[in-house]
Amino acid sequence: FVGLADADTIFALSSGHGRCGVAVVRVSGPASATALRRMVGLTHRLPPPRTALLRSITDPCSKEVLDRGLVLWFPAPHSFTGEDSVEFHIHGGPAVTTAVLQALGSVPGMRPAEAGEFTRRAFQAGKLDLTEVEGLGDLIHAETEAQRRQALRQMSGELGRLYQDWSHKLKRCLAHVEAFIDFSEDELIEDGVLERVDRSVCDLQAEVKQHLKDERRGERLRCGVQVVIAGATNAGKSSLLNTLCQRPAAIVSPIAGTTRDVVETALDIGGFPVLLSDTAGLRDSSDLVEQEGVRRARERVHQADLTLLVVDSTRLPSDVQQAADFLSDHLRTVLPSLKQPETGIILWTDLLPEAQTQKLQQELRRVSGLPAVCLISCQTNEGLKDFLTVLQSSVKTLCGDPLCGAPTLTQARHRAHLQQCAAALAQYQRYRDADLALAAEGVRLALTSLGRITGRVGAEEILDIIFKDFCIGK
Amino acid sequence: MLTQKLPAVQSFLPLVSRRVGHLSSRRYDVIVVGGGHAGTEAAAAAARVGADTLLVTQKIHTVGALSCNPSLGGVGKGHLVREIDALDGLCGRAGDWAGIHFSILNRSKGPAVWGPRAQLDRQRYREFIQSELLSTPRLTVLEGSVEELLVTEPNPDEPGRHRVTGIRLADGSQPISAASVVLTTGTFLSGSLFVGQTTSPGGRIGDAPSGAGLTHTLRERLGLKVGRLRTGTPPRIVKHSVDLSLATLHPPDSRPTPFSFMNTRTRCEPEEQLPCHLTLTTPGVERIVRESLHLNCHIQQDTKGPRYCPSIESRVMRFPGRSHQVWLEPEGVTSDLLYPQGLSMTMPPDAQLRLIREIPPMRRAEIHTPGYGVQYDFVCPTQLSPSLQVKNTQGLFLAGQINGTTGYEEAAAQGLWAGLNGARRSLSMPPAALSRTESYIGVLIDDLVSRGVTEPYRMFTSRAEFRTSLRPDNADLRLTPKGFELGCVLSPRYQEAVRVESSLREAMAALQAVRLSTTSWRKMLPDIGVSDNKSSLMTGMEILQYKDASFEMLASVFPETLSAYMEFSQRLKIEAVYKPHCDLNRREIERIQKEENMSLPQDIDYVSLPVSLSLEVREILERARPSTLGAATRLEGMTPAAIVALFNYVHFTEKQEKTMQRNQRNQKEDRDEDLCSTNVSLPR
Repeated sequence: FVGLADADTIFALSSGHGRCGVAVVRVSGPASATALRRMVGLTHRLPPPRTALLRSITDPCSKEVLDRGLVLWFPAPHSFTGEDSVEFHIHGGPAVTTAVLQALGSVPGMRPAEAGEFTRRAFQAGKLDLTEVEGLGDLIHAETEAQRRQALRQMSGELGRLYQDWSHKLKRCLAHVEAFIDFSEDELIEDGVLERVDRSVCDLQAEVKQHLKDERRGERLRCGVQVVIAGATNAGKSSLLNTLCQRPAAIVSPIAGTTRDVVETALDIGGFPVLLSDTAGLRDSSDLVEQEGVRRARERVHQADLTLLVVDSTRLPSDVQQAADFLSDHLRTVLPSLKQPETGIILWTDLLPEAQTQKLQQELRRVSGLPAVCLISCQTNEGLKDFLTVLQSSVKTLCGDPLCGAPTLTQARHRAHLQQCAAALAQYQRYRDADLALAAEGVRLALTSLGRITGRVGAEEILDIIFKDFCIGK
Repeated sequence: MLTQKLPAVQSFLPLVSRRVGHLSSRRYDVIVVGGGHAGTEAAAAAARVGADTLLVTQKIHTVGALSCNPSLGGVGKGHLVREIDALDGLCGRAGDWAGIHFSILNRSKGPAVWGPRAQLDRQRYREFIQSELLSTPRLTVLEGSVEELLVTEPNPDEPGRHRVTGIRLADGSQPISAASVVLTTGTFLSGSLFVGQTTSPGGRIGDAPSGAGLTHTLRERLGLKVGRLRTGTPPRIVKHSVDLSLATLHPPDSRPTPFSFMNTRTRCEPEEQLPCHLTLTTPGVERIVRESLHLNCHIQQDTKGPRYCPSIESRVMRFPGRSHQVWLEPEGVTSDLLYPQGLSMTMPPDAQLRLIREIPPMRRAEIHTPGYGVQYDFVCPTQLSPSLQVKNTQGLFLAGQINGTTGYEEAAAQGLWAGLNGARRSLSMPPAALSRTESYIGVLIDDLVSRGVTEPYRMFTSRAEFRTSLRPDNADLRLTPKGFELGCVLSPRYQEAVRVESSLREAMAALQAVRLSTTSWRKMLPDIGVSDNKSSLMTGMEILQYKDASFEMLASVFPETLSAYMEFSQRLKIEAVYKPHCDLNRREIERIQKEENMSLPQDIDYVSLPVSLSLEVREILERARPSTLGAATRLEGMTPAAIVALFNYVHFTEKQEKTMQRNQRNQKEDRDEDLCSTNVSLPR
């Protein structure tokens, strides 16, 4: 993981998303100059170092003009990473950024950056000071978390099932080739094992290629910061959704368990795109429909960038001194799986006497260790303005992170890995008859590429399949 | 040429010390306990490195015995044999001496997974190993039973850190001291033997059980975590009672390929080789397994057995209703026994006889020795460092089945490495590690010490990530120079490896230098299918990558530049085909090697380390105590963020230490300068 002198050239969107006019795409590594030449159609000389030039940015394969923007060339060592680097300043729409990222991915030797990779390279080149370095672990943690959530969102859909299915098939292919290599001389490996692998590899390769070609097949990915409203039944979650979108988007009633499925609304908060979801109240229920609702609610919380926990203030202990303890206990009970994403707590205060509301507010301001707590009155909307300010600043922070809620980047990453996967499967076919070890290497590479989307596959897992499918015993 | 000469067995036996009283010394650099595959390689390696070495074994005449199958090598295992040979170990040359049936498995599947294998003559193998050990300088072999391992109390400054001081034998004699002790006690650690419903203590039939003192020291005094595993062996069959005409004949390769890089031929002449036979189990076998299940206590216990070398009982239970392969293997040139590979069993002897008689060629077969099972303790190998030294006990090294592995080759590989490191420690040299990017031995050791075992560990080629680079054909290039540097490779082998390496390099340069248009190539070599749509010139190296091209063909076209290298024609063909893939691997290999070169201090307290790590990650690190950053990245549950935090920590601690050292040096030099201010120049 900690490559000390990576020879790969990496690229990533390094500006945030949301309402922004300009997006910055960064490239770093030895192939940066090649990437620059191919993307702006230079044949010989590179632009003068560190000078902005206005150029047409084109797709190196199709020669189609993608955008007109600024390009900057930073030869090593005078760049952020200390390596040869290029920056593309392009128009900030998702269509343009996706197109540019995909075009970069098609340049040989280029791949999407891993979490924190630019900073890590800068660190390795001695370009960071100690405080920046100390923050590096946290930065990578945050970025991997954001990627994980983003990947989870995609993997829970149809696309995810497709990739998982491919990964499963590839694992079997590899296990069967490996079984044939490691055991067929001594053991009874039935006839036709390799022929079945041949067919699977051929089908898989065709499927992956088709998938890469067919732009319409990918489901529309939800854009924006994912905010999820969660809490116990009848806490007033749907009321909060309706208040926020200023229309009755969800049915509210005093009956516990009114909301059974996830209700989604797209919002604009302070200029940033937000996808707000209202979920079923979290409680154990024997009702099958409600159980499913609770499962979906928990899944949504797991994938969320920001969770809002709604609490009915009448459930607070009458002694305000104990309110903080109660809230942190409540948080643990209702959302036990919550690791430590951004969370906020909203308390409905309508049914409390005003004096107690004030005392509560003072007390909660005093304690630390709790997520931000906002007190709102549903009827008078008192406290709503403060809450919106808090929400807006959270959303803004989240949007500053280019990885958060940006499906385009994940798409570009997936595309690059799928292209590698298809190429590796071609290696299997090329060597199938001449050298099975090199053919198997192809399947292994394909699985590694796919594994970068669906999760890593280790040698032990392959051996497990071998021993399950074959009677190996000499 | 076959370089080994075998002295007559009788002539060397008197050289052996049978009583401690005959020992010339009571102090050795290295003591190796156990005379199996691990022990013999360990003792020989330690002596090669230059340590005065003592090998203690229960019975001298079982040194080098093949206690289970009469064969060596195979897919994955053959890779290990070639690597052990490249490090000047014994088993490759012993195999060439004792082999009676040579074949390269996987011949049609690509050179990276070729599996050199041989059936062995048990007696010849033992003879070779014994004669080799007894003619090794600095090595003494002693018959005796080790009662106790002597260790110091932990140093109060370093809690939990013991140090080995020597051993005490069961005969009540004075202790023998050593800086390093290598334990290779195989299945003898709390071993029990099982046949039917009878159980008896022991590690191998016919041998006395090891003293309980050793187990006590490991478990109670050193606090090592142990687990329990099981294995088994089939009954030996009287050869003339088997009708081999009812089995399928499997002839050996017509030209035996030696295991050793130092041999160009084997002792056994091609036509003297013996065949193997293959037969299949019948439904009657399954019936008898089921009928005798209640009399079979080994199979009823749930101690972990291997999934890949299971007894016939577990094969039948797991995959019922089908026939299983049984190989009938010769035990030696003069032996009248057959080894039925695949029929390992632990049922009562009368049931064993009924079972084998359900298999057609063995209708009237007689059993010479019944099969039996062994259950034994192993030390969880995550408690070892990559030099195979026990982390909490300086000078104690473990190798072989005691670490949870199975197989001769796996044991021999660890033995060699533990012996090498034992010797290096006693001679005050730093420990040596092998990377998984450069060898199967490295893969084996890394898997053991960083992942541990849940079932007996066996080598497979699929365990090696860089299989295309770690081939049986290039083990000498990968390991012999390194082994020479570390001290376990003697000069003749090193010289040979240097000669081979430079010849290969020259030959490849000559192949690169031949550059022709595709049209010319097609005219010269019409049969290999060079496509003519390429405009650029092609080198001889690229032509050799074609499936149907051979080095001989190219040499016949360019005799003046290439014919000098005919000796290496096969190796050159392999190098050419694999070169592009190895080049691709190299970048990844370099990256991993850099991580592995970053060692993590062994005394880090992960619980209180002042870096941002989650509690979960701290626990993982504290438990596994990886010795390098590379090993840490392969731990399950490690996060990228944690690796970066560790990296930063190590990087900055090293930097600080260097600065401190520099400051101290400067201060010292300042002082020196004061002291010898009359000197004109100072050495810097």
